[in-house]
Amino acid sequence: MEQTTGGLPGSSLAIREQDKSALESIQFNQEIQGIMDPPPENASSFTALLELPPPQAVELLHSPDCGGAAASSASAKSLCQINNQKPYLLHSFSGNLSFPANAALIERAAKFSVFAGVNSNPEDSNVVGRNSGVNLDKVKNEPPESDSNPSPMQGCVSDPTVENSNQRAAKRKEREKKVKGCSKKSKGAADEASGEAEKLPYVHVRARRGQATDSHSLAERARREKINARMKLLQELVPGCNKISGTALVLDEIINHVQSLQRQVEFLSMKLAVVNPRIDFNLDSILATDGASLMECNFPSTVAPLMWPEIPVNGNRQQYQQQWQVDAIHQPAWGREEGNHNFITPDNSFLSYDSSANSATLHSNQLKMEL
Amino acid sequence: MSSSLISNPVTNTDLTKRRKKKKAQLKQQLEEQNHIKWKSPAQQQIYSSKLHQALARVNLRSSASAAGDAPRRGKAVREAADRVLAVTAKGKTRWSRAILTNRLKLKFRKHKRQRITAAAAGPARSKKPRVSVLRLKGKSLPAVQRKVRFLGRLVPGCRKQPMPVILEEAIDYISALEMQVRAMSTLADLLSGSTASGGSSSSSAPPS
Repeated sequence: MEQTTGGLPGSSLAIREQDKSALESIQFNQEIQGIMDPPPENASSFTALLELPPPQAVELLHSPDCGGAAASSASAKSLCQINNQKPYLLHSFSGNLSFPANAALIERAAKFSVFAGVNSNPEDSNVVGRNSGVNLDKVKNEPPESDSNPSPMQGCVSDPTVENSNQRAAKRKEREKKVKGCSKKSKGAADEASGEAEKLPYVHVRARRGQATDSHSLAERARREKINARMKLLQELVPGCNKISGTALVLDEIINHVQSLQRQVEFLSMKLAVVNPRIDFNLDSILATDGASLMECNFPSTVAPLMWPEIPVNGNRQQYQQQWQVDAIHQPAWGREEGNHNFITPDNSFLSYDSSANSATLHSNQLKMEL
Repeated sequence: MSSSLISNPVTNTDLTKRRKKKKAQLKQQLEEQNHIKWKSPAQQQIYSSKLHQALARVNLRSSASAAGDAPRRGKAVREAADRVLAVTAKGKTRWSRAILTNRLKLKFRKHKRQRITAAAAGPARSKKPRVSVLRLKGKSLPAVQRKVRFLGRLVPGCRKQPMPVILEEAIDYISALEMQVRAMSTLADLLSGSTASGGSSSSSAPPS
């Protein structure tokens, strides 16, 4: 404008110059308008982008890079029809991939919950063009933020697409973890993003917020969680461990408990050894009186396990794995009889006990023969 | 009318049967967790009955071979009790299998070990203090790991297993030991109570 005003006063030459300058000024004006118009038109284009759903908008931004989806290209074309300056701007995007004003972005990121993939992937949001002023920066910063804002709402669906368009070689786990790793900087409360370690035979672990995404650390984390789960079970099992904090002290308690149990077993076995010689005399009387209370349900199970003493008779030197095979055969017998114990009357129980006692003596004779 | 009346109880019994089956399935699923299974009274009864028979056999054996009463019989009873416990575990856990296979190994290696320990006792004792001082700093740092290894030595058959295996075995072993203690204590009380009361004729004294 100043040029026009400066160009007005002049001679004939100046008039020509004025004409020239006028022409030039007009050209300049046109150029300037051409340059100046884009910001509001950009704003309109970006508002148009904003109206679009975020993934499509993001794809539009990236369409010059990857020539992405058909939808994105179609919408890009439609927008190009609207705005002739659009392809110019898109090309300008493809030119410069720098991402300035991280500070401004972080300030805005603090407002939103997740600002995903921006800092790690500067190439993603190709926002800045070469000729962009501050307005352009601010305008262009908004769409990626608006993109990132609904993304956690969508459960980080758009983020894989964002990174997919640029880093197709990246594995799915690493992508999700990068997203969540980069969300470390924001102070939102995206608890939906925190995943739990799944207990599968293979390590399918999802990294939580703010944790390393190394394969080694993942494996270590899975291992640690397995161990911690078992420690919890042990704590529940051993009395008095719930109040103790710290693995070492809990382990001390567990070791003490195991040792005390083993000592109790020894003590009871000594006691039983003292009482034992009188077993043969007392069997009938004990089981006659207390059969109703304790041993009634044992009778059906006593019949089947009588096969068990036969097994060592076959030969102590044979492998005990054979014993397992025999036991496996008898397991259904146990199962059946455990279920049937309700139907056996006491009379039948006594009868079966007598037969078992007789067979027990028979087996004992066989043992004596062997010895 | 009568047919409908008849059919109604039929359907009712079907429904109740289905519900019982579902409950039984759920219970089975619950009981598949081994350490919970040890708490059930059925397991205790199975164990105590088997232990009873094993004790009878131990008695016969010891009376036949005329062993020195208190210590050897106690050990024999202890071993019998552990074996019966391992059998009750049905071989699904390492410690149960180790208990059952250990007796075989001990029988064969007993004589060899006596010779070897007598020979190696001399030089080993002189080496021990040196090795222990050096190894204190090396191995005592991960205290948790050291304690888990010690726990592995307590549980039979878990000496060289990695940490999570030891912890899992310990869970099952502790619940099995508790069941064993309960069963043996009730058995001992029964037997001692019956002997105290005379035990010849039928006495209607309830178990203490």
